[in-house]
Amino acid sequence: MLLQQLVNGLTLGAVYTLVALSFSLVMGILSVLNIAIGELFMLGGFIGFAVIASQLPLPVALVVAMAGACTVSIIIQKIAYEPLRDAPMITPMLSTLGFSIILQNIVTNIWGSDPLQLPSELFDADFTIGPVRIGFMQLVVIGITIVLVAAVAFLVQRTAAGRALRAIAENRDVARLLGVSVDKTTLLAFGISGLLAGAAGVLISLHYSAITPYIGVDIGLKAIAVMVIGGTARVWGALLAGPLIGIAEVMTIAYGGSQIRDFIVYGLMILILLLRPQGLLGGPRSDVGQRV
Amino acid sequence: MLKVRGLEVFYGPIRAVRGIDLDVESGEIIALVGGNGAGKTTTVRAIAGLTPYKGTITYDGKPLTPNTAELNLRAGLALVPEGRGILGRMTVEENLSMGTYCRKDHAEAARDIERMFERFPILKERRHSLANLLSGGEQQMLAIARALLSRPRLLLLDEPSLGLAPKTTTAVFELISSLRRDGLTVLLVEQKARQTLKIADRAYLLETGRVVMSGRAADLANDSLMSQAFLGGATSPEIGSP
Repeated sequence: MLLQQLVNGLTLGAVYTLVALSFSLVMGILSVLNIAIGELFMLGGFIGFAVIASQLPLPVALVVAMAGACTVSIIIQKIAYEPLRDAPMITPMLSTLGFSIILQNIVTNIWGSDPLQLPSELFDADFTIGPVRIGFMQLVVIGITIVLVAAVAFLVQRTAAGRALRAIAENRDVARLLGVSVDKTTLLAFGISGLLAGAAGVLISLHYSAITPYIGVDIGLKAIAVMVIGGTARVWGALLAGPLIGIAEVMTIAYGGSQIRDFIVYGLMILILLLRPQGLLGGPRSDVGQRV
Repeated sequence: MLKVRGLEVFYGPIRAVRGIDLDVESGEIIALVGGNGAGKTTTVRAIAGLTPYKGTITYDGKPLTPNTAELNLRAGLALVPEGRGILGRMTVEENLSMGTYCRKDHAEAARDIERMFERFPILKERRHSLANLLSGGEQQMLAIARALLSRPRLLLLDEPSLGLAPKTTTAVFELISSLRRDGLTVLLVEQKARQTLKIADRAYLLETGRVVMSGRAADLANDSLMSQAFLGGATSPEIGSP
């Protein structure tokens, strides 16, 4: 039973990790909270759903959803962030909030506000290892998450574009002196962030085999909690905090009741803010990147 | 090579640089000396393209656009900023790779990094350490090496001796002289006027955002006004020395 809950928690945690990574790529590099990421995630879920519903295979759904969310993310960068770059931090955050409400509205108008169910035959297959039953889709969710995280890690740690991202995060002036274009790099951060959110949206609709236009608010806020717990200035904090929160949530539902699940997650976030505001993996507080 | 005319830089309502004219010819070491708040750093930041300004700066006969550091670098103009500007969360090697970020000739750039390691063996020893674990002198070497990797023709150095021990400072000044012998043009901002004037060809003395004196470095070093204001008498310590 405990092992089974661990596997379920890891699956949910995988999705949290991706969305939190999506938040923290923009937050850690540009110090801007892009609230619309929750809705990019939801949009990804709906696009993926539409592709799967029209009998196309999962990889196609994934690619189309990622591309769609990435495109919208870049539009958000151009309209809601770029013109407000020199405004106080709260301003671009509010404009992304505006975008998130608009996105929710658009999706409700296209697909309606009721939850949509995915065809159940997609989710029949499962494996039994001892007492643990692992759904095929759970493996898909965890597997895709691992591949995407590895790809982002490779990009950020091993490529020139990734070094440029890190240079901007650490010191904008120095990055410019080394020839890094702030505009292009910001666009890249928003683009990758959109790709991850879009993929996570498809994965959550596989996990719940359903999707609603309001899932972005629910999971988006939780991903912000995950990012805070992991450390906002450290992109990789999400890798630790995502599975942690996923498992904590599933365990709470299993052993404490689903009515207190959010109490645990957000309680943990407040506790971290009080005791270790830089997050689990955050460095010294002075180390937080500046606005770009 | 570099012509600055009527340069004015504002920080909000404050005019930090008030109409500076400056010329740098190819192959020279030009010193900008002066006390704190004289506008030296602001001037080189404007030249490097980090701040908006009024006035004109022409480089190789072409006017530069204000606040376009990434373009200025590609035109051959590199700045090692005050405080060295090391990316402390990256390794020494990653910092050097960032030096070649603007280059397209990747194979040659990789060879240049290896050449830098030969020129600065201490950096080779520490190539996988995080840059913020290096000593001040090592960080300054790293900052200069990184700037050189963009293959600049004009190198701007902002207080390279800041916070360094006297012995290390001497090594940095020797390095700057050797860069000129390699054909590089250097614009050097310093508070340590005496040592700076020894290696410079010409110098500008800045005070409250204006040029108050300029000429051959040797003449400035012997000038009585300069001597009183910045070089200190025989008994008083040199400005900027620890």
